[in-house]
Amino acid sequence: MDKENEFEKRVSRRKFFNIAGWTGFCTFLGSSGAAGARFFYPKVLYEPASTFNAGKPEDYTAPTGNEQVVVDERWKKSQRVWIARNREGIYATVALCTHLGCTPNWFPAEVRFKCPCHGSNFNPDGEVVAGPAPEPLYRAKIELAPDGSMIVTTGLLGIRRANLQAQKKTLGTFWTKEEKEIIWKPPYFLELKA
Amino acid sequence: MAVNFNKQNDVSFIPSFFKKISEYIKSTTVWKSIFRVGYPDTMPKRMAVMRSSFYMHIFPTKVGIHGMKLKYGWCMGGITFFLFLLLSITGVILMFYYIPEEHRAYNDMKDLRYMVPYGVVLRNMHRWGAHGMVFTIILHMIRVFYTGSYKPPRQFNWIIGVLLLTITLLLSFTGYLLPWDQLGFWAVTVGTNMASSTPLIGYEGPFSKYLGIQIDNDIRFALIGGTRIGPNALIRAYVWHCIGLPLIATALMVFHFWRVRKDGFSGSM
Repeated sequence: MDKENEFEKRVSRRKFFNIAGWTGFCTFLGSSGAAGARFFYPKVLYEPASTFNAGKPEDYTAPTGNEQVVVDERWKKSQRVWIARNREGIYATVALCTHLGCTPNWFPAEVRFKCPCHGSNFNPDGEVVAGPAPEPLYRAKIELAPDGSMIVTTGLLGIRRANLQAQKKTLGTFWTKEEKEIIWKPPYFLELKA
Repeated sequence: MAVNFNKQNDVSFIPSFFKKISEYIKSTTVWKSIFRVGYPDTMPKRMAVMRSSFYMHIFPTKVGIHGMKLKYGWCMGGITFFLFLLLSITGVILMFYYIPEEHRAYNDMKDLRYMVPYGVVLRNMHRWGAHGMVFTIILHMIRVFYTGSYKPPRQFNWIIGVLLLTITLLLSFTGYLLPWDQLGFWAVTVGTNMASSTPLIGYEGPFSKYLGIQIDNDIRFALIGGTRIGPNALIRAYVWHCIGLPLIATALMVFHFWRVRKDGFSGSM
């Protein structure tokens, strides 16, 4: 038996076309499937911008008397952000429950944010004081523009990872010491000279 | 207890004129092409009726008497199929008035309830039918379990049934968003956020960070077509609800019924 026949025996014409045909068919199915899956990921989004101008810091009431913080709700509906002013400065909290994404409500009398979906409670710092939420409320970046107005960046694209880069995973119920160093400093906190 | 249906009646009260007409009609090609077997007075003929009719062929040609008892199956599978047909018909009619657009959807739902003639009946049939379908599927599943009908040779059909249950729940879930009211909106917000905890492909799930999965490329993003529930999520829910999932459900149902026909009814024959 010469070499050519041996090869013929190993890979016959029928076998070759069988393999080639199935390879082609599977490639077609695989690439169609991949293209079909890719189709469901839009490249352009027509969602609200993640940055907005929140006006001047003076527009927000400072806490008086026994109050520790004043939570302003004017941007909640359009931007999903609370602007809170305490005795040292201003910070922005994202009105997005860290449990499953509902919008909590602010109850000034109880000094708490409460989520209507599964009852998570947050204190004005955003820390979880009750309910199933696994992380404190997210902070938005807040920076001063040259004209003195505040630019708030919620960065909803990847908010859970991008907003607090230093602590990506489980933040715990209360802010840790390291996180406090992040959230009470620019760009998450805007200090105001009293 | 065989009864001979072929016995000729000697006494007939039908005038021979009508008899002749009837005989003529039954001899025409049209009649014979519709009723191919003739009067099903014997067992082979009865089975031939089931075999040769399109509408009857989804049933087994022969069913044991135990299978015909109402208390055996409660007819729950049949009721589920009936509700699916009802939901398909009412759903298509609702589509004439409902526009899946951010500013229209909720008002169109309200219009269907208060302005469209018989709209409230259609919407309520669709809504309660959907609730009922989930309920009857569960009862059907319970019956199949307790009669041991999931055992070989019917184990394949059990799997198809589980898939059909999943598809039905997905149909309910996608239909939940369409009224675009507070209830559905937040329910779907919560439901799709759960998808983001899927391992590997959800941006909050385990191991996903090693694949570079973010909020704008995870499975939730593909489901709702964005990072939040918006117009994209509404149209996606609409298309899945009206086209995609019903087609998949229909294909699976064809399989499901065919297997019932092939395996026969469970229980002692």
